[in-house]
Amino acid sequence: MTLIYAGLSLGAVYALVAIGYNIVFVASRSFNFAQAQLMTIGAFVAYTGHVTFGLPAIAVVLLAMIAVMLIASIEERIAVRPVADHQTQLITTLGFGTMLTGIAQLVWGSQPLDVPFVGAKGAITLLGGRLYTFELGLIVLAIVLVVVIHLYNRRMMSGLALVAMSQDDEAALLRGINVRKLAFAAFAVTGLLAGLMGFFIGPKTFAVATLGSALALKGFVALAIGGFGSFYGGLAGGFAVGLVEAHAARYLGSEFSNLSVFLILILVLMIRPTGLFGQLQERTV
Amino acid sequence: MTTVKWWKTLRAVPSWAYAAMLGVFLLVLPALQPGYSVTRQVQLTLILALVVSGLNLSLGYAGQLAIGQVAMYAAGAYTAGIISVAGVTDLLVQLLAAGTAALVVGIITGIPGLRLGSWSLAMTSFFLVLLVPDVVSIFEEHTGGQLGLTGIQGATLFGYQLTPTDFYLSVVVVAILWFAAFRNIIVSRHGIAFQMLKHSPVLASSVGMSVFRVKLTGYATGAIPAGLAGALFANLDLFVSLDAFGFTVATGALAASILGGSVSVYGALLGAAVVEFASSRSDSFQEYSLVFFGLFLLVGGVLLSGGVAGAVRPLVARLDRAAGLIGADRRSSGAGEGEAVHRIDGGLLEVTGVSKAFGGNRVLTGVSLRAEPGRVTALIGPNGSGKTTMLNLICGYYRRDVGEITMDGKPIKTAATHLIARLGVARTFQTPLIPRSVTVRDVVASGRYTVERASFAGAILRTPRFRAVRRRDRQRADEILGLVGLGHLAGTEAATLPLGMRRMLEVARGLAAEPKVLLLDEAASGLDEAEVETLAEVIRRIRDAGCTIILVEHNFGLVLSLADEIVVLARGSVLAVGPPSKIANDPRVRDEYLGTSDEGARPDEPVITAAGQESTS
Repeated sequence: MTLIYAGLSLGAVYALVAIGYNIVFVASRSFNFAQAQLMTIGAFVAYTGHVTFGLPAIAVVLLAMIAVMLIASIEERIAVRPVADHQTQLITTLGFGTMLTGIAQLVWGSQPLDVPFVGAKGAITLLGGRLYTFELGLIVLAIVLVVVIHLYNRRMMSGLALVAMSQDDEAALLRGINVRKLAFAAFAVTGLLAGLMGFFIGPKTFAVATLGSALALKGFVALAIGGFGSFYGGLAGGFAVGLVEAHAARYLGSEFSNLSVFLILILVLMIRPTGLFGQLQERTV
Repeated sequence: MTTVKWWKTLRAVPSWAYAAMLGVFLLVLPALQPGYSVTRQVQLTLILALVVSGLNLSLGYAGQLAIGQVAMYAAGAYTAGIISVAGVTDLLVQLLAAGTAALVVGIITGIPGLRLGSWSLAMTSFFLVLLVPDVVSIFEEHTGGQLGLTGIQGATLFGYQLTPTDFYLSVVVVAILWFAAFRNIIVSRHGIAFQMLKHSPVLASSVGMSVFRVKLTGYATGAIPAGLAGALFANLDLFVSLDAFGFTVATGALAASILGGSVSVYGALLGAAVVEFASSRSDSFQEYSLVFFGLFLLVGGVLLSGGVAGAVRPLVARLDRAAGLIGADRRSSGAGEGEAVHRIDGGLLEVTGVSKAFGGNRVLTGVSLRAEPGRVTALIGPNGSGKTTMLNLICGYYRRDVGEITMDGKPIKTAATHLIARLGVARTFQTPLIPRSVTVRDVVASGRYTVERASFAGAILRTPRFRAVRRRDRQRADEILGLVGLGHLAGTEAATLPLGMRRMLEVARGLAAEPKVLLLDEAASGLDEAEVETLAEVIRRIRDAGCTIILVEHNFGLVLSLADEIVVLARGSVLAVGPPSKIANDPRVRDEYLGTSDEGARPDEPVITAAGQESTS
């Protein structure tokens, strides 16, 4: 059970990355390569807030959310808006993410920093397995976020507008939806959430600049398993990746954990390229 | 005037000559005794340039963002290192083994990655970079793990021990050979094929290309130079460690590609030189390297979408115009002589009881039609009556729900589009699909992609067969261009032509495919009167040559004068069939289509255009 908890909490981290990808994907059909780096920055800011400034937890959360939201807004302005096609956006957002990694290395150094959590980092016993409070927090956060976003997209006007945009942004424009504003808002919201996520993942993964690329990849695998644009799919995919990774590391050795995740990715792409919850679109001429 | 003259002389020399001059200079460089640090710098730059040019092939030309080039570089380096430790020191064997290892990695990761469009390949290839350390530590006894692979012996060639200068020369020669091969691929029809694929997969499959195969070829071929670079790298320092294959190097290579211009052959050299020079100059660059590489990618992506090479190209074109090297005459010259159309064996195309619905929207219901060789069958009907959908069903872009389509009695199953194209079905598009920076002649020649096959290896080695095919490609293209009245524009960039000419160009491309059946989707819309006349003349000649033509058209006058048989569609069903005289007098057709009694607007059915495809894939 302890191993399953470890897998689930790790998977929750990937699911959170996948949520970030999905929000931007649903809003603008583009892929934000820098999503994981935004979360990493969130973890660093959380560290600074906790350790350097000694702020209370609630202030740390707000600080991380606002800081990352600002960075994400800048990203939308300089790396996404000026670029028309999605292929080039992959390159510019990758460039932005790489810059964030480089800057993080300059500011916070390359040693992993231990980010504190609310209260002490205590372990609790649950259903015959042990897990840390922050691990439980991660799992709960991922599930709650997915449910909230799903309900939001179904119930709220702006949520529906987002879904409309992802189907056909021109048609959405004609219906009077401000496509640009919403795409920008989606980025800002992703930033806000990435800050929040950074606060939660920091205690688990530590804040380290090189975290971004590994997270970006595993988050993508979660997305590929679950299907692009599907929030529940991303959640399930994240947990699946986390469990596979934890079990492979435990039974095969740590050098096999990435390899087995890669194998899963290849299998999913070969057998079900649209993911478990994805939909096939008919080609149009 | 002197600059113009100077420019003319400069342009009279083919562009590869400058690259050849650089190659010769690098070969004689050791004679100038430039010192160790310079030759080392040159070797490292060339090695990086090999990696980057592979990236250009897959990213710039095949249009696939693959960040994992470094993993193939690593595969090459470790393969070469391990066999050297085992005693195989011959450089040629090492290059062969390393190139093969990289190619295998490319193919294995390319197949799943390419199935789901651009992100999947970006991610699966990126993932490879993350896997390098794991794989190296799994095979620690062979690779040396974290400590690095030591014990590599100096390279030999046919038993002769290479001195550092010999090795330097080997690096230069390998680079020259690769760049020559790369250039040969790009200027051949395969290079054009990459451009078409990048512009629109729909277009590529309509001339019979297997989209997946062409993408995979580009991506996997791009792995080879990375493997070669790996072998050279292992023999340069006789030591291989994980530091050389990390995330920073991967981004650096990508940055060099973007900086030099991904859609260029020699841009890789420039980009690699800048990145390598900057990394060697300052110690502090290491610290800031990620920030700089990120900045390169960001600025490069936003500003110079073509990199330095892309920024130079318009300048070259402008100077060319000033020097009078490009003709400015843009007028169409009317249909040319008729001998350009050879006898065509048309195919009998029969559609029986075909239905298609998008979700709950029934677009076609039980439609049948018959198009015979040597006749023009026109498909008319109001907007949204299902005409283009019919063409898309024939070409295989959509799957039909029920019904049968046969060619010469043999059923066309719901096969892949490119296979249907290979059966002899060619088409034009409502919005002409013309790739950028391809000449008019090459666009027409691209229609012959499956008429005569020419292999990739043939293009690299310039075999007699390749040359013969190329000669016939050009000859046919020029003949057909003469027929459609665009002969004088053969060397112009096709995408800059006005709409009417681009439509005509698509007809020419369709004709170049020597089709049994030619589908024309609103070929006359947006054309002026003279152009419509030329088009009608061209269509008549193609028909008289024996081709089966299906014409979707709104210009009723043109249809009446051109068609042998008219099929009228309304609300997804056939309203009337018959010769023009009958259709013109059919009261229902007049009512429905010509709108003699205006009954108000119908609910619009989806308008499906070719342009929509570009953004979705």
